[in-house]
Amino acid sequence: MSARNRTLAVAMAAASALALSACGGGGGGGGADSDEPIPIGMIADLTGATGDVGTPYNEGMLAYVDWRNEEGGIDGRQIEALSNDYAYEVPKAEQLYKQYINDGVVAVQGWGTGDTEALSASVGKDELPFMSGSFAEPLTDPEEAPYNFIIAPTYSDQMRIALNWIEEDSGGGGEVAVFHHDSPFGEAPVGDGQTWIDEEGLDLGYESYAMPSGSQNYVGLLSQAKDQGAKYVVIQNVASPAALVAKDIAAQNLDMKIVCLNWCGNELFIDSAGDKAAEGHILIQPFAPLSAEKEGHAPIKEYAEANNIDTADIGAAWVQGWYAMDIMAQGIEEAMASGDELTGASIREALETMGAIDTGGVVGDGTVEFSADSHRGSTATGIYEAQDGAMVEIDPDASL
Amino acid sequence: MAATATGIHHRSYSSELRLRATRAEYVRLGLLTLLLLLLPFILDNYWLSQANLILIAVIGAVGLNILVGYTGQISLGQGGFLAVGAYSSAILSDRMGLPTPIAILLAVLLTAAVGTFFGLPGLRLKGLYLAIATLASQMIIEFVIRRWDWLTLGQGYLNIDRLDVFGFQIGGRAVFEQQWYWILLVLASLSVITARNLFRTGLGRSFMAVRDQDIAAEAIGVNIPRAKLMAFAISSGFVGLAGALTAHYSEVLSWEKFTLDVSILYLAMIIVGGLGSIAGAVYGAIFMTLLPELIRQLSLGLGDSVPFIADQLPAVRNAVFGLVIILFLILEPRGLDRIWHRIKDYFGFWPFRY
Repeated sequence: MSARNRTLAVAMAAASALALSACGGGGGGGGADSDEPIPIGMIADLTGATGDVGTPYNEGMLAYVDWRNEEGGIDGRQIEALSNDYAYEVPKAEQLYKQYINDGVVAVQGWGTGDTEALSASVGKDELPFMSGSFAEPLTDPEEAPYNFIIAPTYSDQMRIALNWIEEDSGGGGEVAVFHHDSPFGEAPVGDGQTWIDEEGLDLGYESYAMPSGSQNYVGLLSQAKDQGAKYVVIQNVASPAALVAKDIAAQNLDMKIVCLNWCGNELFIDSAGDKAAEGHILIQPFAPLSAEKEGHAPIKEYAEANNIDTADIGAAWVQGWYAMDIMAQGIEEAMASGDELTGASIREALETMGAIDTGGVVGDGTVEFSADSHRGSTATGIYEAQDGAMVEIDPDASL
Repeated sequence: MAATATGIHHRSYSSELRLRATRAEYVRLGLLTLLLLLLPFILDNYWLSQANLILIAVIGAVGLNILVGYTGQISLGQGGFLAVGAYSSAILSDRMGLPTPIAILLAVLLTAAVGTFFGLPGLRLKGLYLAIATLASQMIIEFVIRRWDWLTLGQGYLNIDRLDVFGFQIGGRAVFEQQWYWILLVLASLSVITARNLFRTGLGRSFMAVRDQDIAAEAIGVNIPRAKLMAFAISSGFVGLAGALTAHYSEVLSWEKFTLDVSILYLAMIIVGGLGSIAGAVYGAIFMTLLPELIRQLSLGLGDSVPFIADQLPAVRNAVFGLVIILFLILEPRGLDRIWHRIKDYFGFWPFRY
């Protein structure tokens, strides 16, 4: 056989097989038989760039699964949590997602903005409800991302609330420097912040600065912010780099107030910066920390006591993970109650139609609600101030 | 030369030019073909997705090996060139409405052109200096895909429609990987065959002449600038194809898929596989794509007895990645391809040592 004929034969064989496989069935179900555990995939950042908050978030989710299973599971069925570290690398997240699809999961808990956005088209086509630690605004639009659900106010909403607070605090004329993680996560609210200032006619100056990853200090960026005349530094990053900024501000004796959004608005920021350096900085945190004493914290405290976990070790990121799983579990419970087969599509429909999900005052103004037109679960957030090493509530449910 | 090739008596030029000369080679090819055809019926969807990633990596690694292994140039811009292929094919097909095969073809040509442009320093620079020049191409392209909003219409990422080729659309998750496997298998096979044949042409031989001794090559009439630029063009064309397939297969693009890490991974593939060997590029693509997965499976197996591996999996992966490259450079610089030849020789000469 000549080389040409051989090539032709291989190509023909492959083409025939392609045609045969095209005759195969459509998308797979993903539901499991009753009484079998309900498999849920988790894509976690434990060791990557955002691992400082990614780890407690994942621990909170796993703790919820543990607690729920001990309580009898969802309608008698246990939750099977498949959790793997992707180290904040998008290709690894895609690989894990493929594995979870193969394992027949009915829903996925993701993490970062880059990977959530990268997977949004796939989860839409595969009909798998997807919640994550990313609150980027485009993910709230069911037209763009039909299976993504955002359980908290978006980063953009948090930025808008932060700018409103700064406008009021400064009495107008404040200069705002936005320090952000140099990634889709960090950039997510930056443009919307400028648009909000323009639309609302806020009397604020506004400049953004990408934070180089792995920096040992942010004196250079602070110097630029000082030249801008900034009195407020909004940070869209995780806790550790934000704490470095707080230390640098204290060391340089700068007259600047940090306003941390979500992933740095937590106890880890205060602990890492130290009580003194963190003092007086503002934390935008949609998930009430245990110190806020909400009704929805009861099962968390109960679980901690039963498992000898010191509640002082449970931060806001941990609570976020717990409630991300709780909201997904309530959607699954509703889908099962409707009598339909448990599939991604039935969970999505349940989440869109079940009305307000009560979180006992923990998330936003206490409730999370989705609809077929919007997957924006909440628009309210708590505002806290670091005082004597603790998060002190100054507005429990600020909204636009 | 391998033992199996000794003692062959060619009676015609066409016989001498054949890619395979012995019965053993045909048997191996037949078995390989059979395995490749059976694979989708043996593997589950997850492992098939790994096979699909390998097939895309094969095309990219073959392309890079043409430049690095066969022409002696160096490139740290593989990630950038993959991005050019991926973004151009996605934009041409989804936003401009061109049929996907034509969009992929144009993406290949565009990447070849971009590769040629960034190959221009190769006319004056060699070795480390050229490596830094190509590193600049990686940085520039990465900067463009991160910061140029037009590419993603301000979203930061780009969704791509499910592959539709003249009315045939890839199906849902039950058949997605299988259908892609056949497409990628055909394209990867064609790429390998094309590259194998390239080095039987005058152009391909001029690449090797440039690699082995460029001054002597020039003395015997090889047009060095043309050879170098053609090597960049052809290599980038292959890489552009791999990038375009990455786009349509993964159905979403973000800059994070095309970082310097990817460039280094591809270099590792051809080092581990064997520089200057098409088969080596294939072995390297298989090995380096499967390595992280194998480490993960190992960590799952050892999770209870050695929890450190499971807890620090990404760090362990990176450490093993570096260790593998070091070990290959020390123990077998000619890579997996050479190891395979040695295994064949062992059985060919048995019971004698040589």
